[in-house]
Amino acid sequence: MLKYIVRRLLYLIPVLLGVSFVIFVLFNLVSGDPTAVLLGKNATARQMEELREQLGLNKPLFDQYLDVVKSAFTFDFGYSWATKQQISKMIIQGAYPSLCLSLPAFIVATVLSLIISLVVSFYRGKGIDLFVRILCIAGVSVSALAYILFFQYFFAFKLGWFEISGFEFGFPDFVPYVALPAIIFILLSLGPDVRFFRTIILDEIYQDYVRTARAKGLSETVILLKHVLRNALIPIITYVVIQLPSLILGALLLENFFSIPGLGGITLNALNSSDFPVIKAMAILSSVLYIVLSLVTDILYTFADPRVKLK
Amino acid sequence: MKENSLWKDSFKKLVRDKWALGSLIIVLLYGAVAVLAYFGFLAADWAKEVGASNLPPSPEHWFGTDIFGRDVFSKIIRGTQIAMSVGLVTSLIAIPIGVILGALAGYFGGWVDDLITWLYTTFSSIPNIMLLISITMILGKGIFAVYIALGATSWVTLCRLIRGEVMKHKEREYVQAASAIGGGHMRKLFRHILPNVTHIVIINTSLQFQFAIKSEVILSYLGLGVQGEPSWGTMIDDAKLELSRGVWWQLASATIAMFLVVLAFNLLGDALRDSLDPKLKGK
Amino acid sequence: MKPQILLIGMLAIFLMGCSKENNFDEREINLISPEKISGFDPINASDRYSGNETGKVYEGLFEFHPLKRPYELMPNLAESLPTISVDGLTYTFKIRKKVLFHDSPAFKNGIGRELTADDIIYSIKRLADPKLNAKGWWLLDDRILGLNEWRSKHAAIEKTNYQEEVEGLKKIDDYTVQMKLKRPYPQFLYALAMPYTFIVAREAVEHYGKEFLNYPVGTGPFILPKFEQTSMITYVRNLKFREKFYPKDGEEGDDKLGLLADAGKRIPLVDQINVHIVVESQPKWLAFMKGKQDLLEVKDVNIQQSINPDKTLKDIHREKGIRLIMKPMLDVTYFAFNHEEQIFKNRKLRQAMNLAFDRAGYNRLFHENTGFEAQGPVPPGLGGYTKEFKNPFVKFDIEQAKKLLAEAGYPGGKGLPTIIVQTRADTIGRQQVEYFEKCMEKIGINIDIGTNTWPELVNKVTKKQHMMYTMAWGADYPDAENFLGLLYCPNQAPGSNGSNYCNPEFDALFKQAAIMQDAPGRTVLYEKLNEMVAVETPWIFGFHRTDIYLTQAWLKNFKHMEFNHSQFQYLNVDLEVKKQLIKKF
Repeated sequence: MLKYIVRRLLYLIPVLLGVSFVIFVLFNLVSGDPTAVLLGKNATARQMEELREQLGLNKPLFDQYLDVVKSAFTFDFGYSWATKQQISKMIIQGAYPSLCLSLPAFIVATVLSLIISLVVSFYRGKGIDLFVRILCIAGVSVSALAYILFFQYFFAFKLGWFEISGFEFGFPDFVPYVALPAIIFILLSLGPDVRFFRTIILDEIYQDYVRTARAKGLSETVILLKHVLRNALIPIITYVVIQLPSLILGALLLENFFSIPGLGGITLNALNSSDFPVIKAMAILSSVLYIVLSLVTDILYTFADPRVKLK
Repeated sequence: MKENSLWKDSFKKLVRDKWALGSLIIVLLYGAVAVLAYFGFLAADWAKEVGASNLPPSPEHWFGTDIFGRDVFSKIIRGTQIAMSVGLVTSLIAIPIGVILGALAGYFGGWVDDLITWLYTTFSSIPNIMLLISITMILGKGIFAVYIALGATSWVTLCRLIRGEVMKHKEREYVQAASAIGGGHMRKLFRHILPNVTHIVIINTSLQFQFAIKSEVILSYLGLGVQGEPSWGTMIDDAKLELSRGVWWQLASATIAMFLVVLAFNLLGDALRDSLDPKLKGK
Repeated sequence: MKPQILLIGMLAIFLMGCSKENNFDEREINLISPEKISGFDPINASDRYSGNETGKVYEGLFEFHPLKRPYELMPNLAESLPTISVDGLTYTFKIRKKVLFHDSPAFKNGIGRELTADDIIYSIKRLADPKLNAKGWWLLDDRILGLNEWRSKHAAIEKTNYQEEVEGLKKIDDYTVQMKLKRPYPQFLYALAMPYTFIVAREAVEHYGKEFLNYPVGTGPFILPKFEQTSMITYVRNLKFREKFYPKDGEEGDDKLGLLADAGKRIPLVDQINVHIVVESQPKWLAFMKGKQDLLEVKDVNIQQSINPDKTLKDIHREKGIRLIMKPMLDVTYFAFNHEEQIFKNRKLRQAMNLAFDRAGYNRLFHENTGFEAQGPVPPGLGGYTKEFKNPFVKFDIEQAKKLLAEAGYPGGKGLPTIIVQTRADTIGRQQVEYFEKCMEKIGINIDIGTNTWPELVNKVTKKQHMMYTMAWGADYPDAENFLGLLYCPNQAPGSNGSNYCNPEFDALFKQAAIMQDAPGRTVLYEKLNEMVAVETPWIFGFHRTDIYLTQAWLKNFKHMEFNHSQFQYLNVDLEVKKQLIKKF
């Protein structure tokens, strides 16, 4: 087991090398000279040259790439070019509001979809199955932007049920601010979640062991909750855990419209100001998270299903 | 023979399902509109000024007019062409890459598998939005960049699925039998295994379509969308400024146009899964 | 059914945390910043919004009078306007006594010390520090005697030595500084009123090091102990703020508007300022209309919701006591040609395109008819602008445009390549070029839109990789030189002359005017420059826009101001009025 974990963690090395390479090529080589943007509208040629030197942009490309690789492995991301803030601090400060919005919304959406999919599986093929499924899919067929524009206008402004925009640190202060975006988040997640969970659950329902259980005279509810759900858990866990890194990045549109000072906005600002160190840090962090979480998924498998052996 | 009947069965089942049939019809209808618009039979004069700016819906202009006095209905038609072409081209880009890489990785295993797994892990671990933005930045703006960016980010899922499925099939008897009679690798892979994983591609495509259509809206919001042509994305993006001045018809019509086709693709995808996926067969 | 119950339960929980109530007890005002604030270092406060935030905690030697127009400088940390030597090169500043820095752990015993001449010199040197490469350096670049030498010398050295004296920055005594310029710089005092030159304390800079931008320690009327990336920045009143009073005189008519009600009172007048960071326009508008914000800068489409076609406030707002403030802005928008492109060396082509541009329609669609058609680069309100001057090419005349286009050698647009206009990738930017495209279509010129993220656009302009681009230029200081310089040949890319326009005659005259002190003679020269370059149509002239603000009835003392970083200290709030009116929201 330990050996397995170590091996999987070692896998981070080639992936991080790959990620640094892709990010380096995309943003350093192709996106051009950042100094004009960084110095503002009155920049002089001489000052741009000085800044290029200071930022290390005059170094050979290979050395620049090495710097990227180095920061990928040391997690020392330095300071932002555009805001001059320490990047690790920016990320920590931004992760909190992002998670305040996305984590509860994600949990609610997942639990809700699981319940809905159990119910529709129970009534599979009947009218209610179709109705609920179509409702969920309809929910996700509307553009997020349309939801935001309408909900903010109607629920927050007209009815005054929620704050229009903003954020406060600490529970429960943030609740009135994140409630509305969270509802939109949930509406947008229900469709794909329910579809996926339902498929998995139906997949299990037609297995032999369910037939056996039924033959034994167990009630359908017991079968569904005790046997089917348990076996369906593995693919569900995978599906859920793999989505976690995207939560950290936050929901960009929601954050922007509801003025939540999260990582989505930080990333967008960085892209809009050629702030390469921040882009790099965000990409590296999310890939590390991705690898680590897929490892966690694999380990969780062994708990969900003792038959699974890690090799 | 067996293959044939499976497809026939599935098709029959699909037709029997009213919702699936309805969805199929909607998708085909949108497709027809897109083709007609592409060849200039429909909405060719969308850019013409037909009235004052921001006229509400009326008998002459069903969906009203936009800020430049252009007919919103024509823009929706033209947008249909954009949306469908974005769905189609990104699928055409993503499917070959995903299928070939996935098949090679699953079939050969070993270092080939390692390499391809590494490639898609790398790609899937970089946040999608960054790839999208940087690719459109490199290629310059426009519909071409949108195709490439969406295509390049969406082959990953398909690749992973195909790889898993091919791995499973490799061990199956019929493939073993094929090796016994001396079939080459390519023959085994393309003649025997791939036809058995087609359903994954089909299901994935219908979902890919709606993903692409929805992503176009987000790209438009970020200013990276289609240029010089009316897309649903730019129409919805316009609405973020128009709604508060009471101009709701662009948002409403683009949202409804998008809603119908995305819903149809989703339902179709579900129905296809139900009818094609061998695991769910016989329920 | 379980899911339904759960859903309702969830909703109930959400709804319990209903929206917040308004605050009537504290004397606080609520303002909006439409852009994220990245930090509080004066030397990098390059845009209007970071300047506004910096100006709440830091102060400069001078400030613009909050009421008087045209803009007038008045001493702030300086005791009086400086004495200037006859040759216009030596400035002697007297500094106000008993000005205290905010309390901070950076100081001995944590108590803010008095500001002295050393702080002034230190802050100016810091702007020049090569290690910091400040965004504001252009302001003093090649201006102060010895400062550039000091900068280049330290670029090569590990640590910047602030002890080393600079010839042009001399301390006479604790409250007197003498600055020497290389050559006349008539805008020098404006430079000392800009956020870049606001005064910081050396101890704070050294104590906080790279974190200094998060711990603003200034002398200003408000205090922000620590800056964090949040959606709201809260400033509290500086209880130790020196005795500073609301001005007793202003522009004619200020009296009637109630702007002199607090005349002679000690400022600041409120206890707290909350600055909400709201980027998107819908939430900004909605929050103001809900009475949660006191001041709204009305942009783009919200203009139509605010005013009637005759430019009066709409009744639905008037009923709530909301007031409308409309004032011309010191700015100019334009579609710039790249003059290094061979085709744009053809003046007749440029003039034809100017004539084909239907400004009235543009004004209606994008500015709700509030923009002034720009006749030249210099906006009204600055010396150099003449009301009488009408640019013969700033009008809509398709026939003449076609004629000029034919004369230029492109009859009906034949022979011209498709012209790509680079613009910002936001909705408005795209629509504006779409409009331009439709105008040019009418004389047979094909336009394509190139949309760009901000860095891309800036890159294309600084690298001269564009045919045309759209831009808006806002004044750094109230002087036409700031606008005419946009067409001065030595300023070409990567400088501010992004259109790379060169005209030797103009350049010679500009060089002459740039070192003249503000005097009638200079204004005449500015006028000549403006008109001369206008008919050459180096750009397709757009508009001088109008600033439109809505204020709630309870916000007092707000007057439109272009350079408003020090304005907030004069604001006041009437809580009684707020209590009354809020019921209507």
